[in-house]
Amino acid sequence: MLRFVVRRLLLLVPILLGLSILVFLWIRALPAGPAQSLLGERATPETIAQIEEQYGLDRPLHIQYWRYLKTVAQGDLGTTIRTRRPVTEEVKERFPATIELAMAALLFATLFGIPLGFVAAKRYGTWIDHSSLVASLIGISIPIFFLAILLKYVFAVQLGWLPTVGRISVLIDLEHPTNFYTLDALIALDFVAFWDVIKHLILPAIALGSIPLAVTARITRAAVLDVQNEDYVRTARAKGLPPRVVDIRHIFRNALLPISTIIGLQTGLLLSGAVLTETVFAFPGMGTWLVEAIRQRDYPVLQGGILFVSFVFVIVNLIVDISYALINPRIRVS
Amino acid sequence: MSVAQVEAREVQLEAPSGLWSDAWRRLKHNPAAIVGFALVGIFLSIAIFAPWIAPEDPRSGDLSRLGGACCPGPSADYWFGLDQQGRDVFSRIVYGARYSLLIGIVSVSVGLSVGLVFGSIAGYFGGWIDSIIMRMTDIMLSVPGLLLAIGIVAALGQGLWQIMVAVGVTQIPIFTRLLRGSILATREADYVLAARSVGVPRRLILSAHILPNSISPVIVQGTLALATAIIDVAALGFLGLGPQDPATPEWGTMLTDTTRYLQTAPHLALIPGVAIVISVLGFNLIGDGLREALDPRFRGRG
Repeated sequence: MLRFVVRRLLLLVPILLGLSILVFLWIRALPAGPAQSLLGERATPETIAQIEEQYGLDRPLHIQYWRYLKTVAQGDLGTTIRTRRPVTEEVKERFPATIELAMAALLFATLFGIPLGFVAAKRYGTWIDHSSLVASLIGISIPIFFLAILLKYVFAVQLGWLPTVGRISVLIDLEHPTNFYTLDALIALDFVAFWDVIKHLILPAIALGSIPLAVTARITRAAVLDVQNEDYVRTARAKGLPPRVVDIRHIFRNALLPISTIIGLQTGLLLSGAVLTETVFAFPGMGTWLVEAIRQRDYPVLQGGILFVSFVFVIVNLIVDISYALINPRIRVS
Repeated sequence: MSVAQVEAREVQLEAPSGLWSDAWRRLKHNPAAIVGFALVGIFLSIAIFAPWIAPEDPRSGDLSRLGGACCPGPSADYWFGLDQQGRDVFSRIVYGARYSLLIGIVSVSVGLSVGLVFGSIAGYFGGWIDSIIMRMTDIMLSVPGLLLAIGIVAALGQGLWQIMVAVGVTQIPIFTRLLRGSILATREADYVLAARSVGVPRRLILSAHILPNSISPVIVQGTLALATAIIDVAALGFLGLGPQDPATPEWGTMLTDTTRYLQTAPHLALIPGVAIVISVLGFNLIGDGLREALDPRFRGRG
């Protein structure tokens, strides 16, 4: 087990290095050239010279890369063009928003996806099973941004039940020590604010969670169908255990393994999807930040943002891999 | 007839039922796949015959037709209504099918062909070549797909070709891994060993024995990738990274500004969205049907 973890950690090194090379080369492949890209349109010959000095842009490529790697390793992702603030400072404000949204989406997906898949498998071949399959197929065929627009139109514009944009109502005054607004509200014991934050999360979370929901339901169905025919399930039934006990203790617990892996694998999808969902709901997370950066050609934000998001993605995948090994006794033993 | 002749006849009788005819037979009995073929068939014919179907030029509109309000919904004259520039939405949807299809097919071809080459090299040669190619796919997969595409479009600039390349590149690692895994599985098969032992050259073994037998998961993935590509292209368009000319009738681009008009003209958002869903659903249904039909575990049934 320890060897497995060490091996996975070592594999991380070439991936992270490769990632940094990719982003490093990307900023140099931009049409405007690196110095101009990092400074924006307001660049003067003096500031360009300063950036060229700072990054050693006249030096050979491998020396430039080494410098870049050193600055990134020190946690310096550069300065944004639009606000002239450090990129990392804006990440600190934006990233919790996206995490909060992604968690809410994942919660929605598992809370509904697992029971749905379980029921479909238990009613295998009936109309319930068929319609859940059709529904999940339609679910993965709807582009996230279109679903987001639909939800916004029906529940926010037409019915007026939920807010259309943002993370919190402008009238609510809340301190933000963590930038996780739900936590901030709980810390302040402000339940009006808490409910307001939740209301702002519902529609984006449903839109973002729709594909993970469909995938979770399908995998749960397949896993339960698989486990149902195992010998130990037959044994449990034969010795007269009540069906519900067999369902929970024998079938569900063993089906949980593939389900949890699939849920872990949704991270990339959630991070990509957040860009689109946040855009529809003007939700101030990483996604809207990056989209604004594209529109304004704020390349330092794009460079730092893509590197940071990919870094998080890689780490989450690592955690998923390791926890998979931890809960799977077959891997744990070998 | 001698016993040998009878056996020979039996062998011949079984021979025509190959993987593909088997798969086709099962596909014909799968109602979901039939619906998929129908949807894709409609999508294809609209794309091909767009100039004959569309009543108007999708690019130029007439603001005077709006009558000062945005925007007239579906009517007898304009089936899908008019957009904020006074253009006929029906014509734009019809021409949009062309763009979606073209961009989808080209980008999947990019991903598929490059992935095919790297995947077969990695799978067949193994060793350090395999390790290097696999680490490359790891790195590409470590950037979430849409962000990778955004980065590529930012570097290449906006335009049709750039989008195709961007979406295609995001699919390379998926096809590479898929083909590699599939080849690793067939490489050790008895018929490959037999071919090798009678001295068939390496390249011929790869192209004549291994590739044809590892290709069925690639075909399934290719169909599903078309669905993903259509969504990704629309997503780029929606984010304002679509074709440079904003008049281009691309479905995703058509959705960009519509949230502003949701209250007064929901058809502007609904119609292009439904068009995307229908075409994507068609490819997903076919892909799902193919997966079941080509799965050897289901062979001989149905």
